[in-house]
Amino acid sequence: MAKPKKKAPSKVNKLLDIPQEVSTNIPKITIIGFEQMLIENYKSILEYQEFYIRISTYIGILNINGYELNLREMTTDDLIITGKIDAIDFEPIVDEQ
Amino acid sequence: MYFKVLLNKIFGYITIEVEGYFIERFMNLCNQRKIFLWNLKRIHSTIMNVNIGINDFKKLKQIAKKTKCRVKIKKKRGLPFLLQRYKKRKIFFALFLLILISIVVLSNFIWNIEIIGNEQIPSEEISQILEKSNFKVGRCKIGINTKEVINQIRLERDDIAWAGIEIRGTNATVKIVEADLKPELISEEEYCNLVATKDGIITKITAQNGTPVVEEGEVVKKGSVLVGGWLEGKYTGTRYVHANGEVQAKVWYSEKVQIPLKQMKKEKTGNEENKYSVKVNNFEINLAKRVSKFKKYDTIESTKKLKLFSDFYLPIEIHKTNFQEYQEKEIVYTLQEAENIGIQEAKQKLDEKVPNKDMISDEKIYKEQTSEYVEIEVVYEVLENIATKEKIIF
Repeated sequence: MAKPKKKAPSKVNKLLDIPQEVSTNIPKITIIGFEQMLIENYKSILEYQEFYIRISTYIGILNINGYELNLREMTTDDLIITGKIDAIDFEPIVDEQ
Repeated sequence: MYFKVLLNKIFGYITIEVEGYFIERFMNLCNQRKIFLWNLKRIHSTIMNVNIGINDFKKLKQIAKKTKCRVKIKKKRGLPFLLQRYKKRKIFFALFLLILISIVVLSNFIWNIEIIGNEQIPSEEISQILEKSNFKVGRCKIGINTKEVINQIRLERDDIAWAGIEIRGTNATVKIVEADLKPELISEEEYCNLVATKDGIITKITAQNGTPVVEEGEVVKKGSVLVGGWLEGKYTGTRYVHANGEVQAKVWYSEKVQIPLKQMKKEKTGNEENKYSVKVNNFEINLAKRVSKFKKYDTIESTKKLKLFSDFYLPIEIHKTNFQEYQEKEIVYTLQEAENIGIQEAKQKLDEKVPNKDMISDEKIYKEQTSEYVEIEVVYEVLENIATKEKIIF
């Protein structure tokens, strides 16, 4: 993972209007219908069951509940999940400063 | 992403079954080493099915050891596995290659020579000339100089106006345009008469040069002199000239037709029978008995040349013989019907004979009947120029 850990886009990137998922490590989650989901910029899979997927990202943990969940494609950056998705919830990392 | 899957499908992928307690760790490690996984399916809490490319599979061994997972191959798919299956069939591949090579090699030869456009000249004569200039069936296409062959044809025959050779695939088409035989031209300086080409009654003589020998209303026979090629002057005496002019005459064309009142007519019953035979060069193999099962039948034969692709003709022909059964039926015409048919037939035949239909001046129909048939004669009276030039031979 050679990506720098950036949470907020820099001024230059803001000015140039570069998409956040490219300039930072913030994940982009796209849900197509109720049965497909694309997650970009994820870190790793914490748990994978047929009914429950737990994915860690740079800003927190993403929980997906559903049935017959499959990972259709898996690369270092992208993850496509198919299956009947019931619920999604997030567990953001709280900055301790 | 989809492209990656497609590439893997071509270059081979396997479906594996991963069994272990730390499957998530296994996936993350794969991820870290940039191994592309797709179609992940958790079947059981400890079992997962994964698709993986064959090149990445070798890296998997280490990861499996690390995560204490067992990896089983379930399915192998893709081109490399398909080829491996055929590795044992060496003869199959050898023959496949042989066929490919032979098609390529054989398509460089001429397997068919078609001669078209000739009406008077028999095709055999032309093919003989072609053979002489080494243009024959079975000759390699490379190195044929069509211009040379064409020149050879033109040199040998005077009655060919134009010849062209077109080679398409293995089929060579020799196109020929026949030259009309030139009428014998008599030059202006030579002396000639005008002579009748047909029998007829003369209606008009216009002599531009020469002395008319016949008069209007005279009956002439074929070959008799109409306008003499000489002039007689008071002082000069007889002087020979090149006769020129036009002689119009009434010419008759007649056609006799006999129509029997009782006729046998063929009527198709609709029963058909096809028989095939294969012809290789001149060797024919019958696939069935040649004799038809019908008592009375028409035979229609047709041949079809076999070809590969669009223009690679093989020297193999399929010969189809079609038998069509018919029945004979007796038809009795009334007198009127028979006459009408006869007149129609006669006129049809006459139309082919008469060169210029506009000049038909009269039309006569003669009928004659017996108990068995009706005889009909149609006569056309046509005005025509019957003069042609003929050299005076002293």
